[in-house]
Amino acid sequence: MRIFLASIRKLVRRPATWVTILLLIGLLVLVFVAVGATYRQTIDQPGARNSLLLLTFPGAYLLVLSFILGLGGLLAVIYGAAIAGSEWSWGTLKAAVARGEGRTRYMLFSFAAIALMVGVGLLIAFAIGVLAALLGAGLAGVSTSGLGDSQTLGALPEQLGRGWIAIVEEAALGFAVATIARSQLAGVGVGIALYFGEQFAGLFLPDIVKYLPFQAANAVVAVGEEVSSQQVVRNLDPNTALLVVVAWPVGALVVSSLVTERAEIGG
Amino acid sequence: MVADAAGNGLAISTRGLVKRYGAIVALDGLDLSVPAGVVYGFLGPNGAGKTTTMRILTSLIQPDAGQVELLGRPFGRGDRRRLFDVGALIESPSFYPFLSGRENLRALAATGAPTPRRRIEELLELVGLLDRAGDRVTGYSLGMRQRLGIAAALLSDPQLLLLDEPANGLDPAGIVAMRDTLRRLASAGKSVFVSSHILGEVRQLADVVGIIAHGKLVREGPLELLLASQATVRVRIDAGDMERATAVLEALAGPGTTTRTAELSATWLSVRLDPDRASDVNRALAQAGIFAARLEAGADLESLFLELTGEPAAAVATEAGPPASPTGAAASSSGPTQAGAP
Repeated sequence: MRIFLASIRKLVRRPATWVTILLLIGLLVLVFVAVGATYRQTIDQPGARNSLLLLTFPGAYLLVLSFILGLGGLLAVIYGAAIAGSEWSWGTLKAAVARGEGRTRYMLFSFAAIALMVGVGLLIAFAIGVLAALLGAGLAGVSTSGLGDSQTLGALPEQLGRGWIAIVEEAALGFAVATIARSQLAGVGVGIALYFGEQFAGLFLPDIVKYLPFQAANAVVAVGEEVSSQQVVRNLDPNTALLVVVAWPVGALVVSSLVTERAEIGG
Repeated sequence: MVADAAGNGLAISTRGLVKRYGAIVALDGLDLSVPAGVVYGFLGPNGAGKTTTMRILTSLIQPDAGQVELLGRPFGRGDRRRLFDVGALIESPSFYPFLSGRENLRALAATGAPTPRRRIEELLELVGLLDRAGDRVTGYSLGMRQRLGIAAALLSDPQLLLLDEPANGLDPAGIVAMRDTLRRLASAGKSVFVSSHILGEVRQLADVVGIIAHGKLVREGPLELLLASQATVRVRIDAGDMERATAVLEALAGPGTTTRTAELSATWLSVRLDPDRASDVNRALAQAGIFAARLEAGADLESLFLELTGEPAAAVATEAGPPASPTGAAASSSGPTQAGAP
């Protein structure tokens, strides 16, 4: 527990935490407000009406969450990799191990702190995203009567929980890559490459790619057909995706533990 | 098998420690016996295996063969809690750059042995960083980081302290303060294991010295005894007189007791002899018509180090100035020698 609390304190003080969340929120606000602000000028263009779906409640709730899982997933990979990699490159893991701390224990509690921070980040981003969607709707003149839709609101905690697991999965992936590479930079680089590589591979191997971490994470939250129909890869159903998404971080953390336990820790 | 600490009083004991990195043999059967309650100077040239030894002692790496005992009990892969009684500063100190000195110590205190918060303040005061404890470590000088590293090593009030080149980056006042702190810890019964290649630092600090070369211990024992065994008289003489002077001094002290060294334009002849007999050296040379330009007598850790490690003088750092360049006797040692052993 001491390690977990200390890790939380470290993450709160860490610039990467704030840069990541502000970047996500900034882009979220930019997209939703821009769609609302430009709707009237683009009303005659094809697809303009589809963009309004982003601002139409109650569907906008899940679209905000879906947006966070998409871009936020990439940021989560980078974040997880940055935290894990820096423990190696700054030598702080070395210092903890030399004090008799258990390697796996240290690593797992550090990740648990990341998981918590990612959850807090998700909630903050979601709340601000909903506000941005409201603002965009106001700018576009779209009704917000669906804002209080009880069915959607009732399902929201579960959807946010699913979203949290998905983001944690993506952070775990970055964490594991950086642990294996023992490098912040390598972890970030490989994480980004995997993110885009998976999307590219979806063009050729859709039946396999749907089980891969990013694709499965996107499928965890069920978004309306109208929005998801343009996807190249046919997603898993949300419940199957959830199982896949739970399996990935478990695997990633097992690999991270094994690598950390067996690692020869140098300079 | 090493005996219990209560019986042998050893803080660290290694037997046949071997560590290989591919084809490179970093440790080649290292046998260390570090007594409890002393400052032990672990000397060796760069690449001799000092840091590898420290890493094994802190479980950062595992040996390929051999046994380790820490504080009288076997220490292996599953014995990490033994390190609760050990403090270590290995290579450069490691910190989170975005945290202050105090926050870094707090973060580290959350690992390993439970550490009361007041201990952090005590240590910050001890190493003279209390005024800057709230500043981010990125703003610290090398010496300040080193002092914070020493504070981090002392966090759990360890029985055994392992310090790798602790004087790195410290200013003269910092070095004196560190020396005082370490001596005080040893006086209080703690064991301090200091790895260094700075001979002057070790000479002023250590009670017992171990010298490592090519992954093997080549000499170990109380510093005073080692130095007594290495007592020399050095004479600076004209290069043309070198052959005759060697013969004269070997007649006085015995065959094979002389070493020639060259420093810039000067040539020196060292003879292994009790420094009290320096006047005998002077007299013997004068009687042979050889007149020394300079004569020095005393124990010389540098010579011992160079002889045992076979290192070129350039690899040796001293506080006194540039090292000598041995041109004569090369080091040879058939194995570790206990100073003072019968």
